[in-house]
Amino acid sequence: MKKRRFKIKKSTKKDLVFYMLLILIPVVNFCIFYIGVNFNSILLAFKDFDVLTNSFTWTTANFKTAFNLLTSDYTYLQTFGNSLVMWLCTWGIGTLLALFFSYFIFNKMRGSGFFRVMLFLPSIISAIALVLIYSFFMDRAVPDLLNKWFDWKIPGFIENENTRFGAIIFYNIIMGFGVNTLMYSNAMSGISPEVIEASRLDGAVGIKQFIHVVFPMVYPTFVTFTVIGVASIFTNQANLFSFFGGSAPTNVITFGYHFYNTTMQAGSNLVQYPLLASTGLCLTVIAVPLVFIVKWILEKVGPKT
Amino acid sequence: MKKRKVKSSTKVRFTPLTAIMLVLLVLYTVFIIWLLVWALINSFKTQAEFRINISGLPKNWVWNYSFIYENFFIRVSSAEGEELIGMLELYGNSLLYSIGCAFVTTFFPCITAYACARFPFRFGKVIYTIVIVTMILPLVGTIPSELQIAKGLGLYDSIWGIWIMKCSFQGMYYLVFYNFFKNIPKDYTEAAKVDGASNLRILFKIMFPLVRNLFLTVMLIKFVEFWNEYQVALLYLPHHPTVGYGLFWLANRSENNGLNTVPMKLAASVMTLLPVLILFIFTHKKLMGNVSIGGIKG
Repeated sequence: MKKRRFKIKKSTKKDLVFYMLLILIPVVNFCIFYIGVNFNSILLAFKDFDVLTNSFTWTTANFKTAFNLLTSDYTYLQTFGNSLVMWLCTWGIGTLLALFFSYFIFNKMRGSGFFRVMLFLPSIISAIALVLIYSFFMDRAVPDLLNKWFDWKIPGFIENENTRFGAIIFYNIIMGFGVNTLMYSNAMSGISPEVIEASRLDGAVGIKQFIHVVFPMVYPTFVTFTVIGVASIFTNQANLFSFFGGSAPTNVITFGYHFYNTTMQAGSNLVQYPLLASTGLCLTVIAVPLVFIVKWILEKVGPKT
Repeated sequence: MKKRKVKSSTKVRFTPLTAIMLVLLVLYTVFIIWLLVWALINSFKTQAEFRINISGLPKNWVWNYSFIYENFFIRVSSAEGEELIGMLELYGNSLLYSIGCAFVTTFFPCITAYACARFPFRFGKVIYTIVIVTMILPLVGTIPSELQIAKGLGLYDSIWGIWIMKCSFQGMYYLVFYNFFKNIPKDYTEAAKVDGASNLRILFKIMFPLVRNLFLTVMLIKFVEFWNEYQVALLYLPHHPTVGYGLFWLANRSENNGLNTVPMKLAASVMTLLPVLILFIFTHKKLMGNVSIGGIKG
């Protein structure tokens, strides 16, 4: 039996060449700055930088050090806890607010257009500018007003060790949920008006309509945001670098801040890099299955639309 | 016979839930406006007045903005010696950085999405999967590695180097462009091909005009993002500081006592956020447009 020669049509060849030219630069970029960077990060985790010879040597000691730090060093454990608490609060409270406010906007309640603009506003303002204004406001203006109105003499909320983390969480919630609100309201605007009308005729209004009709329809968007949020638990800086620069107190730092700040402080000194890379890999090993477990759970328990 | 107007009952009932939401939204709005107005008012005070009058209007209005514009410098040390970078250069660096990065982070996802959505090659599915997976895959601690590679490739400390580093297809907007191109009927391209149009002609004469509004909206969103961002500049562009970098420097490292006061820092904050706020006033419909993200499945 003769072999059939597979010939590519001339037009398909042209399309293929054009297609490859279009994706060449972004794919090469991805290979270098995603695959290359992560591969280099894995290699870095197995290296030790010798200051005397100014070169790297191979070692597995970084993982042992990282593991010991993550399991028994108080600062690292505190950082772990801060990262989790920061995510839980911003996701938990932020998502709830975003969903309810987006439902408000979706229903075109009075002032929803104006509130939409106000919710979006913090996301277009520079974080460093907003943090600076917020810090001075919470440390100077609010204590001053409380003193004038109620004769309370309290320290600034960010200066005070006891209220500092709470004030930072409050900032991240207030300034972070606005864009999510818009995304949810955009997703809700895709719901067919007939579905809403039918639910209303069946007596589902207010919270009933939200739980049984609207939320199930935007559930895929909810899953997307939750999964992306879980993926960022250990990379989220929580604007700490904007608040404190390189000298954030240890009782508020998150891993996202720790990695960025340590790299900044290291400058051209490469000694710190291997331990950072190995710590990052250890956290990746925790975060990756967590993301897929959360995604699986949400898809399992979620409404079937 | 009189026409009867049929009123559809689209008015939503005011329930306890909506009442609570309205109160919370009002409180939120008051807080945000109060924050910004307080910063603006206090940017016109001297430090001495600020100490005794934190919440009220200034008794003597002081124009701190020109003092900042004339006296603020960032010291940047290099092999040639110390360089002083002023406000004009900061704004120039910010514009170059923001416009360039906004363009490449919009253009490359757009053309990649076009290629994957409109051509039947299987590699398009691989790229789509990569985008989804990289969005949810948490890779921690890669900043040192990326910095090392950037230095090794000679991309460190140059604005064009940052542009090259950002020429990727990854990110949410790839999905937005992909859905857009996927929904364009095939008739457009088939008719053009029958008329003898090449792929390049189809891309420039048909597809780009169709995607123009979305492209500009995404680029605008990206421009705002890069204008406000300062940490990449701090790490990768030590000798090309941006406005955000300048404000960070003023807030944390400034040595000049004349600038190291609260009213000066608030004035500098207002100078940083004002260009974007003005842009927002004219383009808020586009910025807040219907760019939505669906779900991740599989």
